[in-house]
Amino acid sequence: MIVSVAVVGQQNNPLYLQSFTEAGDELKLHHIVHCSLDVIDERVNNPKKNWPTLNETFLGLLYPSENYKVYGYLTNTKVKFILVTNEIDVKDADMRNFFRRFHTAYVDAVSNPFHVPGKKITSRSFAVRVSAIVKSFESGSNA
Amino acid sequence: MAPLPPRSGDAVFANIERVNAELFSLTYGAIVRQLLTDLEEVDEVNKQLDQMGYNIGVRLIDEFLAKSNVSRCADFKETADVIAKVGFKMFLGVTASVTNWDADGMSCSLILEDNPLVDFVELPDTCQGLYYCNILSGVIRGALEMVSMKTEVTWIRDMLHGDDAYELQVKLLKQVPEEYPYKDDD
Repeated sequence: MIVSVAVVGQQNNPLYLQSFTEAGDELKLHHIVHCSLDVIDERVNNPKKNWPTLNETFLGLLYPSENYKVYGYLTNTKVKFILVTNEIDVKDADMRNFFRRFHTAYVDAVSNPFHVPGKKITSRSFAVRVSAIVKSFESGSNA
Repeated sequence: MAPLPPRSGDAVFANIERVNAELFSLTYGAIVRQLLTDLEEVDEVNKQLDQMGYNIGVRLIDEFLAKSNVSRCADFKETADVIAKVGFKMFLGVTASVTNWDADGMSCSLILEDNPLVDFVELPDTCQGLYYCNILSGVIRGALEMVSMKTEVTWIRDMLHGDDAYELQVKLLKQVPEEYPYKDDD
């Protein structure tokens, strides 16, 4: 199941972080998200043949740690979406689908005239939509 | 040429030039944001939006009458219907419904379920008193004043404040008869 999602801005500043487990290990999630940013930067700066090309938004599995898998998605404006999950096998297509819907929700939240780009996303409806996307993702993969 | 029959809101909307809805919403959002930055007081912004709406309304009424060919309205009830069905459809692409007529037919409510001005908008906690769509109340007031009706338009329900629809109350204060600048006995 999905443990947490995060949105990180151009200067690697956190814009949104939401965790979906009861345990209060927010700090650990922050740490995981931070480490994955390094992996993203590496991929963006040194494209290799077996890694996705520069035009690809979905970065795929960033790194697997002991319990978690971290997936990344990079938009054209260098905004990164990070997804931490502890599921054992996740289909690539599901991931892409998730990120596509997440991207749509993000775009709608950012189009709010009261949102300041570069500041944290405070929209309540964005939080609701993200929770809905996560829930539907989980029920879809468990079915 | 014989006078053209009045066209329904849909017919007018189909023939008129249109603009991208997202561009429209984002532009209006930018206007409101800039007003908030310049004026800082929510009440001042409400007043400015109303004033801007008034200026738009006094010019919009001519375009409306020219393009839609509606005939003279017999009473205020008809006026409200025309605004809701033809006017809103023509300029915003959505129709409103008219309800809550009071006993003497001088005041009614226009209800909007769907409002293109507020796509993507969420009011922050610092601006909870802001009537985001206040420009609409100014537009209606300005347009009706140009056809000799003095009205007062207020917001009853606002979706950005948590209600389920947008409700505008339009109250006819008085009908100002047309004044001619020339005296009859000259």
